[in-house]
Amino acid sequence: MAAGSIARQDQQPVFVLHTYPFKETSLVVEFFTRDFGRVAAVAKGARRPRSAMRGMLQAFQPLQATWSGKSELRNLHSLEWGEGLLLLNGEALMCGFYLNELLLRLLPREDAHEALFSYYTSTLRALAAGGEVAPTLRRFELKMLQELGYALPLLEDARGEAVAPALEYLYVPERGALREGEGQSGVQLRGKTLLDMAQEDYSDALTQVQSKQLMRTLMSHYLGDKPLYTRQLLMDLQEL
Amino acid sequence: MKNPPALEHLVESLRCLPGVGPKSALRMAYHLLQRDRAGAASLASALQTALNQIGHCSLCNNFSEEPVCPLCSKGNRDPSLLCVVEMPTDLLMLEQTHTYHGMYFVLMGRLSPLDGVGPREIHLDRLLKRAQDGIVEEIILATNYTVEGEATAHYVSELLKARGLKVSRIARGLPMGGEIEHVDSGTLAQAMMERRAIK
Repeated sequence: MAAGSIARQDQQPVFVLHTYPFKETSLVVEFFTRDFGRVAAVAKGARRPRSAMRGMLQAFQPLQATWSGKSELRNLHSLEWGEGLLLLNGEALMCGFYLNELLLRLLPREDAHEALFSYYTSTLRALAAGGEVAPTLRRFELKMLQELGYALPLLEDARGEAVAPALEYLYVPERGALREGEGQSGVQLRGKTLLDMAQEDYSDALTQVQSKQLMRTLMSHYLGDKPLYTRQLLMDLQEL
Repeated sequence: MKNPPALEHLVESLRCLPGVGPKSALRMAYHLLQRDRAGAASLASALQTALNQIGHCSLCNNFSEEPVCPLCSKGNRDPSLLCVVEMPTDLLMLEQTHTYHGMYFVLMGRLSPLDGVGPREIHLDRLLKRAQDGIVEEIILATNYTVEGEATAHYVSELLKARGLKVSRIARGLPMGGEIEHVDSGTLAQAMMERRAIK
């Protein structure tokens, strides 16, 4: 992609993940693009009062961006609204921030993940449509880890045998499901939870609880020591 | 060549201003010392005075020289209305419209989950206390219509509604003199979604 990344890219489908103030009147924008993965670009003058981009550089909206440059920080030339607008409100909005934080933390730069991009789009649509957010988040977390190449065996245990719904397991990051007695620390869950997750079926209440614990443990394993801001913020709000 | 330590210290201090890098800071320092020493003296004393005298109003949280700012202590405002804004400039803009005669609360920021700005940084505990003084009847959320402003409005409204308070949000839609042909599609979509019945 050496030559391709130098050339100007016209009207690429993108989402804004986050923006940072840059110099007096500009912004650095972290994009999630369909064909190039996570790309950072400078939006020159985007903080000026009359900037045409100012109102558009908002997260969770499908946009089309034109940029050029060969350094890590591209130059953003123009932006247009993409197909269909997404309106995230309330709880769904905070879930959107959570998705963006996960992508900013786990998605390496300039690593194309077309399938994840389309899954992100449909996840935002599901959030915008309302309804229960937990299953939507679990599906995205799982899809994201799998897309990024982390092995998450759900149908077989660590010995390579089929997971039995009624058995209790201990799920250990990097190793998978261990039978009771085989490991010491991990997430305790029953086989059905793993099988339900493989089927993307979160209708069972216990599956919801256990899948949440499992994904939280896996996420903190892959994210490292630095906690997620979005989770901290929700905890702080609950204290008020 | 190295600059004298006092000059280096000045350059370093100027860099705390937003958008000022090493080069701009050096230019500012040269200008103040060479071309405008009176201006520099006045800047130094103004900074010192402001630091000593400006605090936050105990009611609206805006910058104030007194414990309660002039706007809050003026008797002619409606104490049953409390308008929540992000920044002092937002308050000034609203005041210029001459349409609102209630009280204010300035958050001095917004919830910004990805920058680590949480409820502590924007004084939500003080807002909750202020809103529950027994006189305030309606809280009007006038935070920005950005994703961060929306998140702030959502969480503030949840916290206030849980305490039995009436909460409203400023309306959005086409601007004054706005023509549908020229308005951006984001605004237009919102205007369509949030249309209202004509009474």
